[in-house]
Order: sequence, then C-alpha cells, then structure tokens
Amino acid sequence: MWQLGPLAFAVPWLLLALPALPVLWWLLRVSPPAPRTQSFPAIRLLRDLPPNEETPHRTPWWLLLLRMVAAGLLILGLARPVWQPGGGGGGSGPLLVVVDNGWAAAPDWPARMAAAGAALEAASREGRRVAVLATAAPDTGEPVAATGLMPAEEARARLAALRPRAWAPDRVAALAALGDFRRAHPGAFATLYVADGVEHAAEGDAFTPLVAALAEAGPLTLARAEAQPARMLPPPRAEADRLMVRVLQVPATVATEATVLARTGDGRAIASATIPILAGASSAEAALDLPIEIRNQVVRLDLEPEAGAAGTVLLDERFRRRPVGISAAVETSAEAPLTGDLFYLERALGPYAEIRRGSPEQLLSRQLAVLILADREVPEGREREALARWVEQGGMLIRFAGPRLAERPDPLLPVALRAGERQLGGALSWDRPQVLAPFPEGSPFAGLAPPAEVTVERQVLAEPSPQLSERSWARLADGTPLVTEVARGQGRIVLFHVTANAEWSNLPLSGLFVDMLRRLVALSAGVRGAESDAPLAPLEILDGFGRLGAATPAAAPIPANQVEATTASPRHPPGWYGSAGQAEEAAWRRALNLSAHLPPPRAAAAPPAGARVEAIGGVPAERDLGPWMLAAALLLLAVDLLVSLGQRGLVGRHWSRGARAAGLAALLLAAAPARAEENAVVASNATHLAYVVTGDAQVDEISRMGLAGLSDFMNRRTAAALAEPIAVVPGRDDLSFYPLLYWPVLAEAPQPDAAAVAALNTFMRNGGIILLDTRDEGSGEGMNPGARAALRRVTRDLAIPPLAPVAEDHVLRRAFYLLQELPGRFSGGQVWAARDQDRANDSVSPVIIGGHDWAAGWAMDARGQNPFATIPGGARQRVLAYRFGTNLVMYALTGNYKGDQVHVPAILERLGN
Amino acid sequence: MTVIPIPWAEALGATLPPLVVQAERVASTVMQGVHGRRRPGQGDAFWQFRPYLPGDSASQVDWRQSAKSDRLFVRETEWEAAQTVAVWCQADAAMDWRSDAMLPTKQVRAELLVLALSALLFRGGERVRLFGLPRAFAGRGALASLAQSLPRQAALAEDARIPRHARAVLIGDFLAPLEETRRVVAQLAAGAVRGHLLQVLDPAEETLPFTGRVRFHALDAAEEALVPRVEGVRALYEERLARHREGLAALAAASGWSFATHRTDQPPETALLALHRRLAPG
Repeated sequence: MWQLGPLAFAVPWLLLALPALPVLWWLLRVSPPAPRTQSFPAIRLLRDLPPNEETPHRTPWWLLLLRMVAAGLLILGLARPVWQPGGGGGGSGPLLVVVDNGWAAAPDWPARMAAAGAALEAASREGRRVAVLATAAPDTGEPVAATGLMPAEEARARLAALRPRAWAPDRVAALAALGDFRRAHPGAFATLYVADGVEHAAEGDAFTPLVAALAEAGPLTLARAEAQPARMLPPPRAEADRLMVRVLQVPATVATEATVLARTGDGRAIASATIPILAGASSAEAALDLPIEIRNQVVRLDLEPEAGAAGTVLLDERFRRRPVGISAAVETSAEAPLTGDLFYLERALGPYAEIRRGSPEQLLSRQLAVLILADREVPEGREREALARWVEQGGMLIRFAGPRLAERPDPLLPVALRAGERQLGGALSWDRPQVLAPFPEGSPFAGLAPPAEVTVERQVLAEPSPQLSERSWARLADGTPLVTEVARGQGRIVLFHVTANAEWSNLPLSGLFVDMLRRLVALSAGVRGAESDAPLAPLEILDGFGRLGAATPAAAPIPANQVEATTASPRHPPGWYGSAGQAEEAAWRRALNLSAHLPPPRAAAAPPAGARVEAIGGVPAERDLGPWMLAAALLLLAVDLLVSLGQRGLVGRHWSRGARAAGLAALLLAAAPARAEENAVVASNATHLAYVVTGDAQVDEISRMGLAGLSDFMNRRTAAALAEPIAVVPGRDDLSFYPLLYWPVLAEAPQPDAAAVAALNTFMRNGGIILLDTRDEGSGEGMNPGARAALRRVTRDLAIPPLAPVAEDHVLRRAFYLLQELPGRFSGGQVWAARDQDRANDSVSPVIIGGHDWAAGWAMDARGQNPFATIPGGARQRVLAYRFGTNLVMYALTGNYKGDQVHVPAILERLGN
Repeated sequence: MTVIPIPWAEALGATLPPLVVQAERVASTVMQGVHGRRRPGQGDAFWQFRPYLPGDSASQVDWRQSAKSDRLFVRETEWEAAQTVAVWCQADAAMDWRSDAMLPTKQVRAELLVLALSALLFRGGERVRLFGLPRAFAGRGALASLAQSLPRQAALAEDARIPRHARAVLIGDFLAPLEETRRVVAQLAAGAVRGHLLQVLDPAEETLPFTGRVRFHALDAAEEALVPRVEGVRALYEERLARHREGLAALAAASGWSFATHRTDQPPETALLALHRRLAPG
C-alpha cells in the first residue's frame, strides 16, 4: 500500500513501468503504421521513386498520444489505485468489527455500512482476518454472539446481511459475547466500533465497559455519527380533537425541527405537524390537529426525517373511534322520538363513536371507552362495584341528571347533590330560564361558544364545596355548575346537571351538545375494561427501518392484557398483534410500539482516551479506481483500432452511404407515428362522423357522400356542428374520437381480424354506436344479395347484445324528430337495436342494424344534389331519411336524455304540488 | 467486358451531326461511299461526258446531251467510295478500374466513346473496322453487331488487313511504355494510315489523391510499390505523367497523328466532340 494524498496504490511496484512509457513513445514513433493497400493502374509511374528525405512517414501525434494515454491507464489500473482508502481500523492483527444495529442506527444505516465496508475493504487488501459482532439481538431469538475470524470477503457477506433491529442493542450481552470471543481467539486484535452513540438504558447500559474491553484488546477506532442525534417518537397523547405528538432526542447543539406525518392504512400521509426542537432541548411537542373522522383513519405516525422503528407509532383503536355505551333507566321508552332519554344521545354520538346499548353490566363485559348513564341510578351492589372498578382503571363515566337521580343520588357522582331539582322560569317562579356562561379555561369545552338560545329550565344542584368551582367544566350564567367532573383513579366521572332529553333544557337540541359530547369522548383514555389474557399473535411487525413486514418465526404471541406492559424485544418485535381470526377487524388489532417503553435517549459516555474517533458519513467512501482505468484503457485501445483500420482503408467511405441510408430509414419509420398523431389531432378538433372502409371504392364514396350530406343537414338544422366525415379501418385507426360508425356490409366482406374485433368491441363498450347497413331491406329487397350471410360473418366475434326491433317509444324515434318509420334510400324494413337497457352507457344501444341503405339516402354530391333516387320514392322519404339520420346522430351524441321525457308527467305533477 | 447499351451510345452520338471522315485519300477499298475518287466509277455524282465508244451499252447513252450535237455521249459518274475508320479500344485489367464507385471505369468510358463514334460514322455512311476482325461494319444496323464484336478485337492495335489510307482511332490509357505505343503507331503509319490517340484516364491517375503510407499494387501483374508518404511524391508523379503524355504527343506528331486526353469524370460529349472535330473535314 502506497499512498499519495487521497490516492493509494495496492500494487505500487507496477508503477515502476511508468518510466518505460517514453521508450514506448520512441518505439511507436520509429515503427511506421501499417500501410493501406490500394490498387493502381499507373503503378509504372511510381516505380523507382527517389527516397524522399523531407517528409518521413509518421504516426500522427494525436494517435501517438492516444496510445500513450491508454498504456498509462493500463499501468495505473493494474496498480490497483484506491481513492481515499479507508483507515482499516488500525493495528495489524485480526480486525473485529462491532456494529450497533439497534433502532438508533436505522436513519443513517447506509453510511454505517459504508464505514464498516471500507474497513473490510482495507482489511481485504491487507489480508487481515475479520470477525463481526452485532450488538442487537438477532430476530431469530439467538443470543448476541461474534462470528469467528474469517477472510474479509466472507465477512463482507455477513456484514451485508446485517439489518438494524427494531429494538435496542444489548451491550451487556455484547460484552459477554466479547468475552467469549477473546477466550476463543486469544491475542491482540484491532477493533472498529460503529456505534450509535446512545445509552439505551435509563441507568446506563454497558457502553463504557464494552469500549474499555475493546480498547484493552488492541487499538480501537470508534465510528460515530456526530451530526445526527438519535430521535424517537413516543405514542401521542390524545386530547379533544387533536393528538399531542412529542419528539425525544439526544440534545443537539443546533436548533432543528422534525415533522410527524399521520398516515392512513394504505400509506397516504393525511396530516403533518412540524415540531421545532430548540438547541440543547431533549424533547419538543406539537399538536396534530385532526377532525375525528380523519383521525379515525390514521393508523400510524411517522417521524421525518426517517428515524426507524422508534420514529414510528402504530395507532390501534385506543386512538380511534371509541366504543361508547349508553344506558337508560327504562330501556323501553328510552328511544321514543323527541322525548326518549337516549334519543338525542344516539344522534349526537352516532357519527363519531361506536354506540353500544344495554345495561351497565352487559356493556362492561366488553371493552368500553365511555359509558353514559342517562338519569339512571346505580344501586348498591355488584353493578356499582363493577362501575367503580372500571372508572378506576381509566373508564369515563358520563351521567345525566333527571328526576330519578334527583331523588336518589349515589356516590358515583363528581359532587354531592342536593335532593330535588331546581326549577327556573316555571309558572310559579320569578326566575328566567338561565343561559350558559362562557366555558372556563381548563375545561375541555374551552373555545366552544355557547349559543344564546340555549337555556336551562331545571337542573340538579350541587352542594357547595371548596372543590366545586375547579370541578365545574360548565356553568350557567348565574354561576351554578352545569357540568361537573371528578377524576377517580385513571378515569373520571362527568355529570351533566340536566337531562339527556329536551325536558329540562334545550341543550340537547343544540349543536353545542354534539360538540361537548365529542370532546368528552375524545378525552377518554381509550378502551378500558375487561381484557382477557387470550394470546394475540403477531400479525405484522416493524423492521428496524419502521417498515411493516411479515412476522419473524421468533416473534411470540402476547396475552391481550399484557400488550401495554410489553417492551419490544426479539421475542416481541413492535408491530400489530391480534388474533388471527379477527385480523380483518381492525378494531381488534393491538399495536406494540417500540417507543412506548424506551427511556429518553441519552448521549453515550465519552470513549476512552486511547480510542480513535471517526465520523460516519460526510466522507465519501473509498473507491476502487482500477476497473475504471482499465475500462478506459480498453476503450481508448478500441478507438485506436478503429482509427488504424480507417488509416488502412478497411473502413471508410462506404460507411457514409450506409449511414445515410440508415438515417433515411429511421426518418421514414419516425414519419409513420407522426402521421397517426396528425390524424388524431384532426379527428379530435371537431366532431366527425366516420364510416368503415369496405374496400369497394364506389361503396366507400357513397358512404362518404352520405355522411357528408347528413353532416350538412345537421349543421343547418341542429346545434350539432359536424365536420367532414372520416374513413376509418377498425384495428388500424383509433376509433375513440368518433360517436358513430357507419358500416355498409358488402356480400364479400371478410371476417374482421382480431385487432379490428378488439377495437370495435372497445368502441362499443365505451359508448360508440355502429350502424350496420345491409342495404337490402324493405323496398330494397334483393339489391345486395349475400349481405345477410356477410352480416353474420362480420359480427360473429363482435360483442353484440341481444337485439329487438326498434320499439315505438324507442329514444331513436324521438331523439330530435318524432318518427314513425326509419327510412333511408329504401323503406319498410325492420331496424334492430339492443333489447336490454344497459345503464352503463346511458342505455344507448351500441349497435343498430338495418338495411335501408341510409348512406345512399343521405348522399349529396359536390353540386348539392342527391345522386340516388329514393325507392319507392318521393321527397317525403328523403326528408324522413335525413330526419332518421338526425335522430341517430343526436342519439349518439346525447344518449337517452330524450328518454327522460317519460318522467315529464311525474315531474309536472310534483311541480304542481 | 462491360456491355454498353447501344441506345446510350446512339443517344450520345445523336447530339452531333453525322460524321463523314475527311479523306484526302480514301482507303483503297471498293466499297461505295461518299468520298469521290476523282475518277469515273460507281457513284451518284456526275463526273464527265465522254464520246460513245463501241461496246458501251445503249442504256449508258445520255440522250439529252447527245441531242445537242451529232455525236453520242455517254454520262460517267464519279467513283465514290466510303472511308474506313479502324477503331481500337484498349481492353486489359488496368482499364477495368475506377477510383470511386461514382465514376465509370476507363473501359466503360472507352467503349462508350468507340460506340458513339461508330454510330456517328455509320450515319455518315462510313465504314468502321475493328482491329483483328476480318471485315468492316457499315450501315445503320451495324452498331449492334459491332458492339457484340468488341470483345473479339485484337489486344494490340496491330492488323495487317487495315487498308492503306484508312483512318485509325485508338482509345486507351496508353500507360504502357512509350516504345510499345510508338511501334504500334509506326506500323500503322507505314500503311499510310493516319490516326488519333485518345488517352482515357481516371482522375485519380492524374492527381494521385491518396495520402499517407500506401502500398500500391498493379492490377494485371504482381508488381507492388510501397510509398511511405504519398503527399510527398505527388508532384513527382504529376511530372512523370506529364512527361509520359509529352512523349505520347511527340510520337503521335512524328507519324502525323494527333493526341488528346480525356478523364472519366468529364462528360463523354467533350471527348466525342473533340474526335468529331478531328475527323470531320474543315
């Protein structure tokens, strides 16, 4: 290894060949280039030329230079140059590469791999043996262990297989593994420790002893990412109508900011919150404002810039739509419209929460976030105990007052109540019904504006007590509490001092009621209550980068009531857990989040004095320049070969003509798509009728004249603006521009090929209409023998729906004119259209089949005259033919909108009423 | 042998008037032609009246002239003979060469000139001979058979059967040593044949446009010449070619012949016009 600035050579003695280049130069100069041969009749005149001393033959200087550069590159390339070679870990013995591959290593994992890879590269050049030790436990459930010493090439494969894990590195286990390694391989070795720089246990993990042990064994290089502090995103705090997201990080010297993205199940980011982090701060918080409907769709929060598994929080149903149980004293009358106890509650909560009905005992047997009791007393006994226990565990109990509660207060109330209720503004009272006072600060209702028309006529009154004012979330204008609350254990009890129906106040009639309930439900801590110890199997787990994937074999189920308390580990990787049968029911998935139980990240202790500290990232990885130089040399030699051949006349002037021919061919090929594009522009600039080219010039001309005549007629009589008709060949031309395709069927018409069939079927499926004309119906019977067979042949592969004669009330008969018959040049035959109504295409029949030779009927020559007489004849038939054409085009352009006329009587009747 | 399309040659010749060869002395043949021999014989032009001699047939008597006097006169016409032009077109490997695919080979150009010249001569009523062939061609339809006979002509312009006082046109590159050409011309001139040499060269033979190190090899022999730097010898080559041409012109002039050059990149009309002017009277 010989280093020259940032450039090093692995085989430096080969550079000794460089001084030989001038010799090569001289040799190339004195040896003439091979002559080109040339036949020449007048060779006699060239005989015995005197030696020409003034112009010696010579290889051109640029060719000489080219060869010299190629030779130089060859020598340099073989000397295996390396740009900015890695340090290699110092020392000379075996090399141990220790890699922290916990969650904190994920954000800059490629840079870490590059740092370790550079060391392996250097070790491979120096022929050192390498062992790899990853500090995080592998996901197979095996313990942390170092590999044996192996050649660097093998170690590279081991290194490439390493992945960051979705749990913290276990440095205590790594220290033990190091002890095993040293016992197996006594003697000094150098170490490269690619560390994540984070203490992963609150009281400090074994980072310091590990580093000390490594330093003891030999020279130690510590590679750390200084610029990027480790970050994590703990599970958010749910508040009314928003999620409070917090970012924890190792304190950094500069202020930065992080972004939290809220994603739905299909990966869409639907909201984001930017969190500024002050310099030196270890945490920062911001609100993620989300309407509840949107919030219910959020299944994960991601920290940006990417922070791996610790920056990902999966949100299960605890953060989602809450199950709310409602219960009334008398179930039978509770749902009575406008008067029932639960009538308003159901309507207010229905859009935002999952409502369950039943007695409190029934409701509490399942998981529940909020239980609402509307004027229902809780008698002493099992029910009261169960309720009290549930509230202690974090349930939210909301109670509404009423005559029964006023009679018999119970302890499950936030405040002591006076017996009886207070009546305001009754017939025997001087008081006015009371309006609401503005909500106090600190109340979950703060910010809501109480409307002036909400008044309270009756309420239950609280006994005055010192805590009454702080327990009041809402008051009336005279200061008496309307909503009071008290925290019990992890849960709370909320009391509305009015009824849940409109009997005591008109609060339940107002939108304020809805908002208040929504905030209360959002405030609830989530599902509480009976959680069994049924095991939840891992459904999907997060890898170290925070990507969901299939569960590893080592991942074990967790009992449902243990999910909260479980710390992420190889046995329980973070991710979704649930019972397999309930996997589709998202409400039953439980999320295990890595960040829920991680201590706030702390910077690791300083390395011991003897260790060399390197930065990860920012430094370009070493680059082996050898192959590039050899490739460049080969390229130059190939150029040289071509030039030499050219000089000998073996390649040359014939090329130019070949190239010209190739260029011309390419131009012709390019012109073909250009023509198709031009057609498309013409076709889409205006509405065109189109006809299928039959190959019979006369018939095609009649089709063209017919459609031109019809277009002319329609331009004069209707609002439709039709341009010149266009001839199309199905399968070759794009049919999507045309509403109507006129197709005269000739007796000798061949069966359309596959491409044409596909194009026509697509055309019909997308709403196009094909008018198939056999030209032999009615008065034209026998004019076109064989057309029926041809029609069968032509339409064999087309997706023709079942047909029926065009009915008297078919839209085709009145799309513009009211028509009894549908004549063309001939008259009296049957015309067929789709039998069934297909709502997909506005009930428009994709195909209309008849034999009236309509094009001949509509045909108009250049002088504006009709070249084909109608049969049986008369100007009337001609007019009717044009009218049919108009109806047809209107049908094609507007669909069945004229069909709606059948509803006109009903509409008129409704308007009259 | 490249077959020249006859219509092409005829079309080329059609741009010029029929060629009647200027002939001070017509070749000693008995063929009837347009050249008066200044003696009575077969012909259309009036020559003289001579008194009737016993033995003349009565039909020879010019009665109109005889009626002017008491004597009988016989009308004699001038003996008119056709001139014979012997043409020769060099045909060897060196002629079948071109420096560029866009140019005709020298052979093609030479044969085209031969045929076009023959077409002109046939229209003028003259006769055309090929060296080495027993009989001459004459008449308008003879062009096709002449073209077919071209491959059978002699390799050298030597034929003892060429009549005296005929004219000769030799077309070729004449790059052979001067002595060879001099011998051929001298032999013909000894037979009182006057003639014309037309040297057809490829432009590359005139300018030597090659560059660099080139190994030249001859077409018909194994001869080779390695030129290290063609640019350096170009001037010398041109000087040698000019000397060769001077030699050709000199040997032609010595026998009373003429000499002209033609390049294949020039239109054939120029060469044909030059030949026409050389052969036509006045």
